[in-house]
Formats: sequence, structure tokens, C-alpha cells
Amino acid sequence: MFEQFVDGIFWDIALIVFFVGIAWRLITVLLLRNKRIDYSEPRNSGFSGAIMANVRGFYPRKEVSSRIRLQVIAGYMFHLGLFVLLFFAAPHVKFIAQHITGFSYITIPYWGFIVASQFAFAGLILLWVHRVLNPVTRLISKRSDHIATILVFVVMLTGCMALGEASSELRVLHRFSVELLMIYFPFSALMHAFMFIPSRAFTGAFLGRRGVKV
Amino acid sequence: MTGIKDKKSARKRKVIFACVLSLLFVLTAPLIPYVIDAHAEDDITSKADKPAALQHPAINLWNEVRQRNEVTQGTSQVKGVDSGVLINKTGEDWRRFRMEMLMPYGAYFMGAIIAAIVLFFLLRGKLRLPGGRSGELLCRFTLNQRTAHWFAVGIFWLLGITGLILLYGRFVLIPLLGADGFSITASACKEMHNLIGPLFVFAVLALLVLYIKDNFFNRGDITWLTKGGGMFGGHVSAGRFNAGEKTWFWLVMIFGFLLCITGLILDFSIFGQGREIMALSHMIHGISALLLIAVSFGHIYLGTIGVEGTLEGMTTGYVDANWAKSHHDLWYEEISKTSEKPESSEQDINKGITSSSTKPAPNPAGD
Repeated sequence: MFEQFVDGIFWDIALIVFFVGIAWRLITVLLLRNKRIDYSEPRNSGFSGAIMANVRGFYPRKEVSSRIRLQVIAGYMFHLGLFVLLFFAAPHVKFIAQHITGFSYITIPYWGFIVASQFAFAGLILLWVHRVLNPVTRLISKRSDHIATILVFVVMLTGCMALGEASSELRVLHRFSVELLMIYFPFSALMHAFMFIPSRAFTGAFLGRRGVKV
Repeated sequence: MTGIKDKKSARKRKVIFACVLSLLFVLTAPLIPYVIDAHAEDDITSKADKPAALQHPAINLWNEVRQRNEVTQGTSQVKGVDSGVLINKTGEDWRRFRMEMLMPYGAYFMGAIIAAIVLFFLLRGKLRLPGGRSGELLCRFTLNQRTAHWFAVGIFWLLGITGLILLYGRFVLIPLLGADGFSITASACKEMHNLIGPLFVFAVLALLVLYIKDNFFNRGDITWLTKGGGMFGGHVSAGRFNAGEKTWFWLVMIFGFLLCITGLILDFSIFGQGREIMALSHMIHGISALLLIAVSFGHIYLGTIGVEGTLEGMTTGYVDANWAKSHHDLWYEEISKTSEKPESSEQDINKGITSSSTKPAPNPAGD
């Protein structure tokens, strides 16, 4: 009963909420227009500013690099690890081929899976512990940040539990947690996965036009 | 009349007796061949040197299979470590160790530690700060140290709980979840334990690098130990870490690294390690884990409800000056000399790398 619900109607609902929600959020942001027209002569290209800001955001500024070393390293560990697991782990590729794309593609070997999962788990735990312990990050964190972190952790943990493919219950549990995350995704800070490029581009273009070095 | 009655009852008794005899015969008759066989086997074993005695035709085969006389390697189409060994005798030794020693004595040990903690709490209660809170705060742990500690805590308990379920789950969880339910739980725990296990290596390494500086034993620690750390009255001087904390640190290092090494051997069985090495690793892994879990109960008790003002050192990074004077007076004197003027608390925390410093009062962020 629960298995049918998770594999059937709840999966469809999660997919619709995920894609419609993301599209709605992106379109809303992209349609925002600055009503004040900037008549000033551009001192530099807005486009190059947008590109530079996107590139510049991938590494920390020298002035703060020693202070945010942990966040940068753990951040890369988590995001790269999760990306590799999500799109190249053999069970995920099989699922994507069966349910979304209709075709399969290259998967990572087992040792690659182990390494990626270590990076993802270590990165996520370190980032969350740091978020809670540092008074500044603790102060600027909202409840949704903690909920998103916990949901992602639960998804990773249930995925880890289902790894042995010993029972369908564990697979259903993992899929249910994924579906919950998909429903929560568009309404949370997790949207940064889709927003970070346009956000950096907007800031970079704005500053680039004013001749500010990005 | 009475003669006829007596005759009838005598006949009845005879019929009943005959029936009982028949029943006994029917029940015991099938056992007769076994009794004869047993006698024959006794004769064979007692007269084993006599060539005339009959032996089980497969006795030599089974002696070799069970490795009774010597370890023999057979041949097999299956290529792999120990694939030529049909039944490994060390497997039985390992199983008996796990079932008859590790599990019961591990449970007794953990139970004894918990009982000792409860008894101590009932006798002494929570150790309060003498003189209450002073309002003066001292930086005890940097952000990096606290992050490493809580990272290690998370990994340790994730592994500890899954490991305990794998070890004791069949006794505790089968009555609650049933056999099928426990099977699913055990499978999930095994996968979690195996996948998250390697992270403990990084956790122990981080603790080693960030905490080793102040954890070397000195002469003062002997005094601290002989006086029981002042737990039963009286004051004992201590530096940044007392002998109890140092002992816990080195236990974590020694048994933590043993856990890491044996865990990696068990987790990645692709480097040609045989069953003997795996069994030995499992024994060391189990003993180290149960020891650390049991001692961690004491660490958790003293760090939380046991001693007032201790936990905040690991959550906010700061402790009250009276706490420092009471439990780590030498450290208090040391930092009082080195930091005469208070530093900015936010700077300390954000850098996460500063050494001990003082600050007058908690900041608005709640730390």
C-alpha cells in the first residue's frame, strides 16, 4: 500500500511540485525589472562583469580565505560528492534511465562511489556543525536552512541504508525521503542550486557597469 | 458372586498389563537398532587399533574437512582467498569468541560503567560551581576544535549505535520488530556502518592534530589520579586538561586508531586478507568499540549533567572563570598571565584559531 503510494501518486506529485515550483521561482525572479532606468554611461561591460562574478565566486577572496577555509573545503567536498552520487552512482543512473531519460550513461565504479559518499557525508556534517557552532552563521541561519540540511542528510542516509538492496522497504524509504525533499526544494534555500548562476550574474553585471572590479 | 467378580477383575488386570506391555514394546522396538549400533560404535572406538574394527567410510574425509589434524588446502575452480578451504576452523573460534565472550562481557562492562555513573550521581549529585558564576568568560575551545569534536561525536555515535544493533540486535530487536523487521534493520545498519566507517579515520586524525598539544602527561597528573581528581572531596590542581581528560584522549587515540585500522581491513576485503586476519580484526574491533562506548558514558556524564559549566565550553567555546579556577586552576593562572586585556569575542570565534583568551560577558549572539 505504502510502496504503491510512494512509487505511484506521490512520485507524480513530487515531480510536478519540483518542476513547476522551480519554474515558478525562476520565472518570477527573471521577470523582476528594475523600474529605474540607468542613464549613466557604462564604465565597463555588464556581460563581462556577469561572467567574472560567476567565475570569481568559485574561490574565496584572499582577505577572508583563512577564516572561511573550513566552509570552502567542506562546501566543495559536499557539493561535488553529492553531484557525483546523484548523477553517476549506478542505482541512480539505472533509475534515471528507467523513469526519466529512457537511456543509460556512464556510471562510477564502486570505489568512486565510496570516495564520493565519504566526501558528501563529511562535507555535509562539517558544514552543519560549523553552521550551528559559529555564532555568526547561527544567527543568520533560518529554520528552513536547518530543515533543508536535515532533509538532505536523511536522503543520503536512507540511500546509504538501501545500498545493499536487501529489501524493498529500504528502497521505498529512500524514495519517500527523496520525494519529500523534492516537494520542499522550490520553497527553500535549496533553490540556490538553480539561482546561484543568475544571482552572481546579476550582481556582476550591476557592478561591471559601474566599473567595480569583481 | 464374589468369585466371579474376582475372576473378571483378574482378567481385566491381565488385559491391561498385556496392553501396557504391548505399548512399551511398540515404543521401544524401533530404538533397538540404535542401541545395537551404539554398542557397535563403542566397540569400534575402543578397539580402534584393531584392523578388524569397522570405521565410518568417510571419517578421513570429514577429519580433513574439519581441519582436525592439520590445515589443508584443497583445489577449487573458484579463485580467491581461502577458496580451497571447505570449512575454516578459525571461523568457529571467532564465532565462539563473539557469542560467548565479546557479547556477554561487553554488556557486563557497559552495564557496570552505567551503574557506577548512576551510583556516583546518587552519592554526589551534580558538582556545582563553587561561588556560582563570576560572569567572566574564558575561551576554552576554538571553533575548529569544537567542530572537530562534534564531527567526531556524530560519526562515533552513528557507528556506535549501528554497531551495537549489529552485535546485540538479535536479542533486543527481534522480540520488538520480529525476524523480518530485524533483518531489514540489520541490513540498513550494516550498510551505514560500512559506508560511514571510513569517516572516523578523519575524525580521529582531526582530534589528534587539534588536541594533542595539551594532552601530554606530566608529574601533576599522578597527584591528580591518586586523589581521584577531587571527585570525592578536596581540590586538585590541573592544567588545561586534567589526567582524566588526558587518559580519555589517549584512549580515543589508541583504540580509535585500532578501530580505524581493523575497520578498514573488515570494510575493504579486497586486498587478499584471509579469514584469520578478518576474524582477528573483528575481535580487536569489537573490544575497542565496546571499551570506547563504555568509557564515553563517563565522558558524556562529566561533560553534561555531572559537572556544572563544562558543556558550554564545548558548545560556545567559553567557560566561566570560577569553573576554570575550580577544575583547571593552573590553566586559569596561565591564561590570566598571558591575556591581561580582554579580546573581542567575535574575532576569537570567527578566526577559530586563537588560543585561550578572556572576555567579560556573553555576547548578544547567545554564546
